[in-house]
Amino acid sequence: MSDFETDFWKDAGKRKTWDDIVPGERRPAIPYVLTLEAIHKYCRSVGDLNPLYFDAEVAKKSVYGGLIAPPSIHILLMFACTPADDWMRTPGTINAGQSWFYSRPARPGDTIHMDSRALDKFIKKERLFVIHDNVFYNQDKEVICSGRGWTIRPQ
Amino acid sequence: MTMGEFDKINAGDTFTGAPFAVTRDTIRDFAEGSLDFNPLHLDDNYMQGQFGKTKFKGVIMHGMSNFGLLSRMMTDWLGPRGGVYRRMETRWVAPTYPGDTITPSGRIKQKNVTGKSHWMLFEVEMRNQKGELIASGEAMAEFPAAA
Repeated sequence: MSDFETDFWKDAGKRKTWDDIVPGERRPAIPYVLTLEAIHKYCRSVGDLNPLYFDAEVAKKSVYGGLIAPPSIHILLMFACTPADDWMRTPGTINAGQSWFYSRPARPGDTIHMDSRALDKFIKKERLFVIHDNVFYNQDKEVICSGRGWTIRPQ
Repeated sequence: MTMGEFDKINAGDTFTGAPFAVTRDTIRDFAEGSLDFNPLHLDDNYMQGQFGKTKFKGVIMHGMSNFGLLSRMMTDWLGPRGGVYRRMETRWVAPTYPGDTITPSGRIKQKNVTGKSHWMLFEVEMRNQKGELIASGEAMAEFPAAA
């Protein structure tokens, strides 16, 4: 994904702060084509060399019938599907926890769509929390996974 | 009739995943692999400040690295046993720094049979080389009925 902006400061001024975020409001999203190269780069970053992700012959004989991405590929998809001016990319955003349910694997070549929103926001121990919920679909509108995350917003 | 080894696995059984040595390079690799370039993980100068009432002593590993490593432990353990990893919920308890080595572990909490399938619930956690708790949570796997 060569056009991905890795400088998270660049659009910092355009992003919503905790005060601006409206619970229930959808977050903009961009479709993302998941490549085998991206899957492998993510897998290697967590030391996961499972043949279901790397070995086409082994994967073909498995119940999946071909290469798949690991369930936790949503970690990549979250940023890949998020526009540069979205508050998910705000520097200093602290991840406090997440929950995810996996329905079906993503596969190389899938076009991924994200349906995401801020779900709730609150203050606890003087920290500014936002809960976001997310669903990732493939090009056939099949649910890949769904989940929620708790972030602490920078002051 | 269940698929895999559902009947052979008992509540209380435990397992561990591969230890993971955290370095600045592994953090950079995860940023490249996940596209999460938050300066919390990459910028020493930025980490001199405070973040939402939290102060760190330097760059920290991505919290979602814990999630990826715990997920890897689950799929590694479930695959040979015929289980399908379905859910994970974790919260981060303490930051992880370059130089730490973290190890995931799991424990079967209980088994459930529903109208159409078989389920296993797990307690999972991540600890560093000092035995300190880094992340904790729970996971769920399905052992689908054999066709």
